Amino acid sequence: MAGKVKGKKKSDIHRTLPLLLIALPGIIYLIINNYVPMFGLFLAFKDYNFMKGIFKSDWCGFQNFKFLFATKDALVMTRNTILYNLAFIIIGTAFAIFIAILMCELGKRLRVKLFQASLLLPNLLSWVVIGFVAYAFLNADTGFINKTILEKIGAEPIAWYTYQAAWPIILVLVNLWKNAGYQSIIFMASISGIDQSLYEAAALDGATKIQQIFKITLPMLKPTIITLTLMSIGRIFYSDFGLFYQVPQNSGALYNVTQTIDTYVYRGLMELNDVGMSAAAGFYQSIVGFILVLAANAIVRKLDADNALF
Amino acid sequence: MKRKIICSLLIAAMVMGLCACGSGDGAGGSGSESGGSSAGGYDQVTYAYATFNNIPTEEDLDTVEEAINEITREKINVEVTLKPIFIGDYSSNVSLALQAGEKIDVFQSIGDFNNCVSTGMAMDITELIDTCASESKALVGEEWLRACTSGGKLYGIPTYKPIALTPMIIYRQDVADELGIDMKALNSVEDVTAVLEQIKEEKPEMTPLAPVEAGSLGLNRTYGDVDWLADDYNTPVGVLLGDDMTVVDFYSSDIFKERCELARNWYNNGLVMKDAATTTSMAAELMSSGNYFAYIAAYSYPEEDTAASLQAQSGNFPTGAKMLGDAYLSTIDVNALVWMVASNTDVPEAALRFLNLTFTDEDVCNLLIYGIEGRDYVISEEGYAAYPEGEEAASVPYTAQLSCGTLGNFFIMYPTEGTNKDSLEWELEQNKTAKTSPAMGFTFDASSLKSQYTAVKNVINQYLPGLMCGSVDPETEIPKFVSALNDAGYQEILAAKQEQLDQWIAENK
Repeated sequence: MAGKVKGKKKSDIHRTLPLLLIALPGIIYLIINNYVPMFGLFLAFKDYNFMKGIFKSDWCGFQNFKFLFATKDALVMTRNTILYNLAFIIIGTAFAIFIAILMCELGKRLRVKLFQASLLLPNLLSWVVIGFVAYAFLNADTGFINKTILEKIGAEPIAWYTYQAAWPIILVLVNLWKNAGYQSIIFMASISGIDQSLYEAAALDGATKIQQIFKITLPMLKPTIITLTLMSIGRIFYSDFGLFYQVPQNSGALYNVTQTIDTYVYRGLMELNDVGMSAAAGFYQSIVGFILVLAANAIVRKLDADNALF
Repeated sequence: MKRKIICSLLIAAMVMGLCACGSGDGAGGSGSESGGSSAGGYDQVTYAYATFNNIPTEEDLDTVEEAINEITREKINVEVTLKPIFIGDYSSNVSLALQAGEKIDVFQSIGDFNNCVSTGMAMDITELIDTCASESKALVGEEWLRACTSGGKLYGIPTYKPIALTPMIIYRQDVADELGIDMKALNSVEDVTAVLEQIKEEKPEMTPLAPVEAGSLGLNRTYGDVDWLADDYNTPVGVLLGDDMTVVDFYSSDIFKERCELARNWYNNGLVMKDAATTTSMAAELMSSGNYFAYIAAYSYPEEDTAASLQAQSGNFPTGAKMLGDAYLSTIDVNALVWMVASNTDVPEAALRFLNLTFTDEDVCNLLIYGIEGRDYVISEEGYAAYPEGEEAASVPYTAQLSCGTLGNFFIMYPTEGTNKDSLEWELEQNKTAKTSPAMGFTFDASSLKSQYTAVKNVINQYLPGLMCGSVDPETEIPKFVSALNDAGYQEILAAKQEQLDQWIAENK
């Protein structure tokens, strides 16, 4: 009995060894990039001192975490981070699926490739460039919106970079413009993986296009949507730094609607250059992110065990 | 954080690579760089300085290094390794290098004396300075050194240079002449309004005033007698006004309100760039475009020299400068650039001796700034340094000319072509006679207030640029600003400052 198990194990390894070898570079990368740096987490609890070095610096308990919660900014930035990310997840996913379905309906002609490429283009631009594209639109003196649109309809120019109310919408739009094309690729791949015979059968039964989309495409996309959403939820405590820092041009008057945890930490620590406090901020984000992934996964498992990640 | 650690790992890897190369070359070259003392018995000192010019190649740097070593071997039994670092990367590079245990013995604090001391980067040189750098001590004087102390211990030597920053308006001379504006009649920042209005009237295609940098119209240099008490002048926290030794909330003061109202007035009348609070362009760049008339900033040179030195950066338009007030000296003017000995150095005495030479030895100073005479620069008959025929800053093998006000002693270097030797005396005079804060020499230890500082600075960044550029209304925003500051722990910082200041007064009276 024991020998049999052992033999089985051996053959298992034989079978999986080539696969393991293929995965090896990726595993090494993961260890170096994601696991080794975890060792730095303990710096979050140290009062870092150059003379004493990493190990000999004094422990300081939760002192380093204090600055994150020192003011009511904590509330504002946590609220902004979570609400923006929720908006991005919901609107972004809906929009990406919409694009993917439209693209797939267009078939496989050249024009589809053209659309696809132009939708992908913004994703290749860096946030700094996009920040300036936005600036060209929003500039108070010479911007496209003030100079061309508002002037034509005879409205007063608006100082966009101090006008808070507009920014939640601007940020969502800019984020959609940059990311929707890229996200839709994954959905397009899933849609083209759906068995065509399902559509043929539905068409024979007299289902309209709209019915086909709602009764076949969307249900078949469910696992992809769940996986992608779970992964986004794990990052719900991280914000896209470029979007929140470069696009509003670091305008102080907009902090109430553009401050996220990342920008707060960056702004605060640029001044102080404090190793321990940066480590504390990273630590906080990782822990909360980790808990959120576990929680979201648990909920999915309750509702639909097949689609849970683990 | 992850990225930081990866960075330091990578840097460690690169350093090891470099050391390996160094020792390989060492056999034939001038000596290896590792270890405290080499085969020749000379102490090895690594001197890390910020350069605003291009980083020279290894070979070109070696010749300068060797020329310096010829002096230092004989005078102080030291061999030096030069480590020029681009100014933008300087602070982070030095702090990473020190964390990774890379050899840096001498470095400078750029605007962040307190942090270098509170994180333990700098060594206490209170006693060493008398034996190893007594000439420098005598040169810069007790009062300046006091600005480099913390808790009664000395942590560095301030760069000896013109420090008295006088607020000036830098303007287009050709435009002023064309419209017949007498700029020399301006004496205060309030006088400027009329000129800006005239420019707007007669040159509608021009924006009268450019911001000096994002979030500042330069008005923050025109407050007069304000001591920032060791804070950055861009984001002051608690200050002294005039001779009163009470730490006050600057943002509730009348002078702050006046300047904000002035900025608001300029903004509403279209006299300034509308996006000044968020622009990424600096003054010189904007002036180069030819669309701006003037900007306000503070410089430590006389009017003519300032105008002459700024002209090339400002698109070569004829440039003028006029002072709008007087200089006012306080601790941060002195300790903005402090030369420090690294706390983990293995050769503190040698490091300090070399530092002493950069303050007292003309040849060492000129080698550091201008490189090798004949190759990197020539001396004119009148004694000014210039690039050799057909060369410029970017083409000579070695130059750190733009760092001239940051390395050691500014007054013993060759003056650069285009400046005026007589100005040196004026500048020395200014250093001595400019009005000085009664709290000159007071440094503030903020290490117990880090979270309050982070929070307060965030609030300042949120409100200050808009107020200083006129894009928000001071009437409604200042009260909001002050209440947000108080929520962030502002009063605790003020109280701690007052306490430390009272103690300082008791010790120094």
